[in-house]
Amino acid sequence: MSDLERPELVCPAGTPAALQSAVDAGADAVYLGFRDETNARNFPGLNFNRKELEAGIAYAHERGAKILVAINTFPRAGTPEIWHKAVDDAVTLGADALILADIGLIGYAARTHPQARLHLSVQAAASNPESIRFYAERFGVRRVVLPRVLTVQEIAALNPRIRPVETEVFVFGGLCVMAEGRCALSSYATGRSPNMNGVCSPAGHVRYVETAEGISSELGGFTINRFGRGEQAGYPTLCKGRFQAHGKTSYLFEEPTSLNTLAMLPDLIKAGVTAFKIEGRQRGRAYVGAVVRAFRAGVDAALAGKPMPEINLDDITEGGRQTTGAYERAWR
Amino acid sequence: MSNPSPRLEPKSGHAPFSPALLLGLALRPVRPSLLQPAFDAGLRAVVRRHPDMFERMGSFGDAAVCLDPVDLPFVLLMEPHATEPRLTVRASIEPEEVSATIRGPMATLIALAEGRVDGDALFFSRELVVEGDTEVIVALRNAIDGAGLDLMGDLLRGLGPFAGPVRGVGNLAASLFGWVGDEVESLRRSLIARALAAADAQNARLAELEAEVASLRKQVRAKGRAAS
Amino acid sequence: MTLGPVLFNWSPEAWRDFHFRIADEADVDTVCLGEVVCSKRLPFLMPHFPDVIERLTKAGKEVVLSSLALIMTDRELEQARELAATEGLLVEANDVSVASLRAGRPFVVGPMVNVYNEGTLAAFEEMGASRVCLPAELPAPVIKILAEGTKAEIEVQAFGRLPLAISARCYAARARNLAKDSCQYVCNLDPDGMEVDTLDDEPFLAVNGTQTMSYHYLNLLFELTALRKAGVKRFRLWPQTVDMVAVAALFRAVANGAMDPAEASARLTGLCPDAEFANGYIRGREGHVFIDDDGDAPLFPGD
Repeated sequence: MSDLERPELVCPAGTPAALQSAVDAGADAVYLGFRDETNARNFPGLNFNRKELEAGIAYAHERGAKILVAINTFPRAGTPEIWHKAVDDAVTLGADALILADIGLIGYAARTHPQARLHLSVQAAASNPESIRFYAERFGVRRVVLPRVLTVQEIAALNPRIRPVETEVFVFGGLCVMAEGRCALSSYATGRSPNMNGVCSPAGHVRYVETAEGISSELGGFTINRFGRGEQAGYPTLCKGRFQAHGKTSYLFEEPTSLNTLAMLPDLIKAGVTAFKIEGRQRGRAYVGAVVRAFRAGVDAALAGKPMPEINLDDITEGGRQTTGAYERAWR
Repeated sequence: MSNPSPRLEPKSGHAPFSPALLLGLALRPVRPSLLQPAFDAGLRAVVRRHPDMFERMGSFGDAAVCLDPVDLPFVLLMEPHATEPRLTVRASIEPEEVSATIRGPMATLIALAEGRVDGDALFFSRELVVEGDTEVIVALRNAIDGAGLDLMGDLLRGLGPFAGPVRGVGNLAASLFGWVGDEVESLRRSLIARALAAADAQNARLAELEAEVASLRKQVRAKGRAAS
Repeated sequence: MTLGPVLFNWSPEAWRDFHFRIADEADVDTVCLGEVVCSKRLPFLMPHFPDVIERLTKAGKEVVLSSLALIMTDRELEQARELAATEGLLVEANDVSVASLRAGRPFVVGPMVNVYNEGTLAAFEEMGASRVCLPAELPAPVIKILAEGTKAEIEVQAFGRLPLAISARCYAARARNLAKDSCQYVCNLDPDGMEVDTLDDEPFLAVNGTQTMSYHYLNLLFELTALRKAGVKRFRLWPQTVDMVAVAALFRAVANGAMDPAEASARLTGLCPDAEFANGYIRGREGHVFIDDDGDAPLFPGD
């Protein structure tokens, strides 16, 4: 497989400690966000201030890794300055690329910093060659993070049609079952959404209630799930809850599960994907270290034509369950 | 009814520092206030090495959190204020005193603080139980995880000048901190081995543990009251 | 008044007859036609398009052709290309790709496209957008800022179940243990969406194939006047299996100041006896809540 391009392993960091873990574990690039509503992981206590970003960029660059800054929420009308400042500061501090979702903000970045490398966030959910061409031709977007709706076959067919635009795909972690950036379930229940506030099913609206049967998890006052004693629990993300429809109780949208494509890496490399992304800026450095090590080993093995390493990541997946998600057609 | 009072073996630094041993340690009747100087010194030591740690709490810095090591007969009141954090040892904390509570075996809490186990995974497996304002818990977890703590190392290195107060608090605290000697790594390994194993094997069932601990704790607190 | 495209899988005959009646009786200015949710449904509707378009046009109504929201396959993209090339009718882009294909000619930006701010609105206007129906979650002050800063007509969703999310996965099929590829079109069993309850039997969401919608019916009767003053030019009514002619009449009457919103809302309850109403988003709150007290959650805080 030596003729294959070496894919970039793009890893999450919610804190400087996680950034160091990711770089030390073999990340080619680390993506992160500012500690405010400009990024889609606007969780309490998470993310980077300007000083921390500067230090993080220095740490990564000294070790040959890149830093990608996600500014991937949709600016609020009337206050675009917060988002513009985030773009300006990320460029000034030496970020290797910006990950953007909003068309207006992409336009701002392209006009103001024509030399900056722009990536299209998964939150823009560009799911076909025409959408991708739009962002590439109008704004010079160089890479697209694909929404988690396409199969490996569809990705393989897409890549040659959009070159030289690169694609980045998620290989591990939390999984949106809806087209990303096109989902208002969170704000319907809580008033706060990924697009507007950078949060999905925000912690401030979560409540765990002990009952005779076990724990109930509530979001915005709606019971999202109930776990018996000894049963694996899950965070009450709306689309991973148990609901009733037509008299049947089920995980209607998706089970509490994590995407894991370790075994699929050779296929994804063959499909012409430029970068592999690990989800989880909100997870701790233990998670970051373990997952990055596993996928570093996986990518290296795939490039060397060796069998995929058997690495058990059960213990850090949601609900202890794993899926290959939309990459296989049967998921739909 | 048998009285669960395993004895603390002195000079057992190479023996596994198991939860049972910790429990045995703790089962000795002791007033929480006797432990306070040790925790004061410990927190000071950690904060000295990570002065920005609680800055991440942002607007949640005024929130109080109950850390409840379910295998020990005391609880900790954590006030993660950016400039004046406090960690107070208490016999118990009423739910309305705090914004949130985090319960789990002491070994798990230490491993979590050191970033060696993943908080979400522990929660998914029910190894950790959280109650109250989830936002505060998330902020605290991120603040501590983000600091990159090396708890045992920080404590031992940081405790130098404070070794006095630590020694002064009596056998229990002295045992907790003094007994470990220089063997940071072996202590750490043995201390959190169970938590790491649990996270690996997904076999921790806190519900059962809680029931067990609740009955043990009752006895301990009864004894504690009798002693004080 | 705009009648949005029928989002549900109605039988082709029911779909045709619904629009015939709208053409003959409903006081709406514009009617959107098209399959927004699932490309598998479109072939069944296609044969009726010419008749329906003719009937609506003859009745003096503007017809807008609405695109699919999630375009993934070559076939879907090819359909979008044909749609974008349509002459003589306005096209509504519910995906960025359709806006891109239509650039240079007038088009409508649909509510499934993310227009949250001035910058994005200006970008679409530059491409030729003459009308923009805003996403459901925007609060009134944001709508006002957008309406004040654009030449494009701003449209706001005002009635019916709100489209909240779109997916590659079909939940109607999944709920019945069917694969999407062999779905047997079970989404036609729920012409107003499949109701989704919590474990505590609380109604919460509705599923329309690959689309997830609100359980609650949006009702902005109380906000119409203030939104018009803020520059909103159009209101969108989403078709449900209720008397949409009567629903449109109520919204028209309130918008014209001919009927009191409370009176209209009471009548709307009569028309949709099983529906629970919501207006939370427009008041900056959770989408599912209904607020009728302006003091609690003012439409334009600080005004």
